[in-house]
Amino acid sequence: MPTITIDGKSVEVEKGTTLLAAAQKLGVYIPRYCYHPKLSVSGNCRMCLVEVEKAPKLVTACSTEAAEGMIVRTASDKVKAARRDVLEYLLINHPLDCPICDQAGECGLQDYYMEYSLARSRFKMADKARRQKRRAVGPHLVLDNERCILCTRCVRFCSEVTRTSELEVMERADHSYIDLKEGKALDNGYSLNIADNCPVGAFTSRDFRFKQRVWFLKKTPTVCLGCATGCLMEAHHNENTIYRLMPSPNAETNTWLCDHGRLTYKAVRAGDRLTKGVIKNGLIDLEPALREAGARIDEARGAVAVLGSPWLSVEDNAALARLAKDSVKTENYCFDFASEPGIKDGILINKDPAPNTSGTGLVKTAHGGLSLEELSRRIAAGQIKVVLAEARAAGLLKDTLKAAAPLLVIFAANKGEIPAGTYATLPYASYFETPGTFVNYQGLRRRTAPPVEAPEGVKPLWAVVNKLAAYSGASLQLDSAEDALKGIVFK
Amino acid sequence: MISVKKVNNRPLNLLERIYLWEIARGISVTTRHFFVNLFFPKNILTVPYPEKTIPLPGNALFRTRHRLKIRSDGSPKCVACFMCQTACPARCIRIEAAEYAENTVEKYPAVFDIDLSRCVMCGMCVEACPEDAIAMDTGELPGGALARPGMKMTKETLLRNIPGTGDPSAKGAANRLADEYSGGLE
Repeated sequence: MPTITIDGKSVEVEKGTTLLAAAQKLGVYIPRYCYHPKLSVSGNCRMCLVEVEKAPKLVTACSTEAAEGMIVRTASDKVKAARRDVLEYLLINHPLDCPICDQAGECGLQDYYMEYSLARSRFKMADKARRQKRRAVGPHLVLDNERCILCTRCVRFCSEVTRTSELEVMERADHSYIDLKEGKALDNGYSLNIADNCPVGAFTSRDFRFKQRVWFLKKTPTVCLGCATGCLMEAHHNENTIYRLMPSPNAETNTWLCDHGRLTYKAVRAGDRLTKGVIKNGLIDLEPALREAGARIDEARGAVAVLGSPWLSVEDNAALARLAKDSVKTENYCFDFASEPGIKDGILINKDPAPNTSGTGLVKTAHGGLSLEELSRRIAAGQIKVVLAEARAAGLLKDTLKAAAPLLVIFAANKGEIPAGTYATLPYASYFETPGTFVNYQGLRRRTAPPVEAPEGVKPLWAVVNKLAAYSGASLQLDSAEDALKGIVFK
Repeated sequence: MISVKKVNNRPLNLLERIYLWEIARGISVTTRHFFVNLFFPKNILTVPYPEKTIPLPGNALFRTRHRLKIRSDGSPKCVACFMCQTACPARCIRIEAAEYAENTVEKYPAVFDIDLSRCVMCGMCVEACPEDAIAMDTGELPGGALARPGMKMTKETLLRNIPGTGDPSAKGAANRLADEYSGGLE
């Protein structure tokens, strides 16, 4: 356990700790471009140079291991001069097209220039080396070689994290540039992480391109509902519109975020978003739709089935359970969803595509209910006249529902989800618009935070269920999502 | 050093204190102006703005109605960087960016609106513009309008070059690319 001194403060660190990590422990920030905590050390950008006593030259903090008695200075004149020179060097051929660059506002070059340099350029615009400007590489990214500082974070990401090795540094020395290897396309399911990783504007997202300047964005930490992994993420939004989703690195689940997860926000403002109820194929207001659906449920009474959904939050599933038990008073309800959780690709994507299978397990423990097979059997046997379900959960019983053809009352957020032959569809607020509790495959309880507001007239599912209960049987009197949670025990 | 000015607050004399004489004196001044203006209207200094305006002095550094400059190839010089919208204290600028398929400058404003009824004519947008694309040198004062839409300038009404002001020029980094694209001027 070597003890080292950084800027006069001493710290004891594990053997093998780098100076950069040791400084971080002390709260001393060392600027870096090529260093990333989850990628291998490259040491090529030279931005993290620090002075070590008795060392003949400045050393890179990201690649130098701490040794007993080291005395490190991160803010001496020599270090400051080195940083200024490194920045001047990196900016020599930089095109300075910040006005049209999406990275502007969160750019490593801009930030460090303001912090560590502020020197005037000694290079004429006309003398700058020119490289290929924007071009699309893969379905999610745009590459601008002129802005690249060759930190190779993207190359290392592709070879170490996704292990697909699409990118490579071509040529040598000052002819170098990043390019796709021959015959490869950058579409590995995690490619948008490269846009985050890129400290400059060389890789930018095609989806986010020119949509919004980053300094207008507000950030709300929430949970990804793309699969059972339940990654933590940040929704970046402005004026009630989500513009992008970014990972919030955490030790439990994720450093990155997959492309599928990042684009889940699109459904919120999609053209087929439901803001009204649907009876057969005609749009009507929520209230008459509820009345109609409630009347059908009331008629069928004992022959009503309620199916929970692993795509809904614990609160909404609990509200559905209460509807079945306390309002409609049927025993045909099911919150039993088997799954085989586990990371499918060794990075993030889960075998279980539903975000809340573990959460429905909690509802089952509290309220009981049939198994999915038993419910399926009863529907097939024609004992069920009306089925109340969330759209994607209804997809699990697709064949049975098609064969037995009971009256389907479906909760759906988007028109595209509605299964064929649905009688009534009720809209609900997505989890970008209302909070909800989800339990991921590891059993971690996570709560979404709503970055935007639901369209007018669209309510959270528990509130829709509460109204439906009034039309179809005894009232549930739910005033909040927490009311529905009564009786449910989180581990 | 703070300079102190001593004010001579002398007490009012009797004539001033009885008040009526001073009122009569004031009314006589107003009446004199009324009749002078009535019979010699040419000497009136004010104009009934906005129905009537007087030309501004040619070399005055006034901030007047905005315009957006045009490149030699006819495209707007603006690259929709949102700097003006960010700097605007009155929040009267609304931009929507779009992408050129071919042009090397990549970005242009699909929408560029200025709400003159909100604008405070501070010139921060001109200061902020890194491309020298917006200017307040038209010499026209935005007058009043009877309805709000009349005070709104859109991209179409904003885009124009003024001869003799060095247009079309190619200042700004992103415009350097546009300039090479359209044949080069400087």
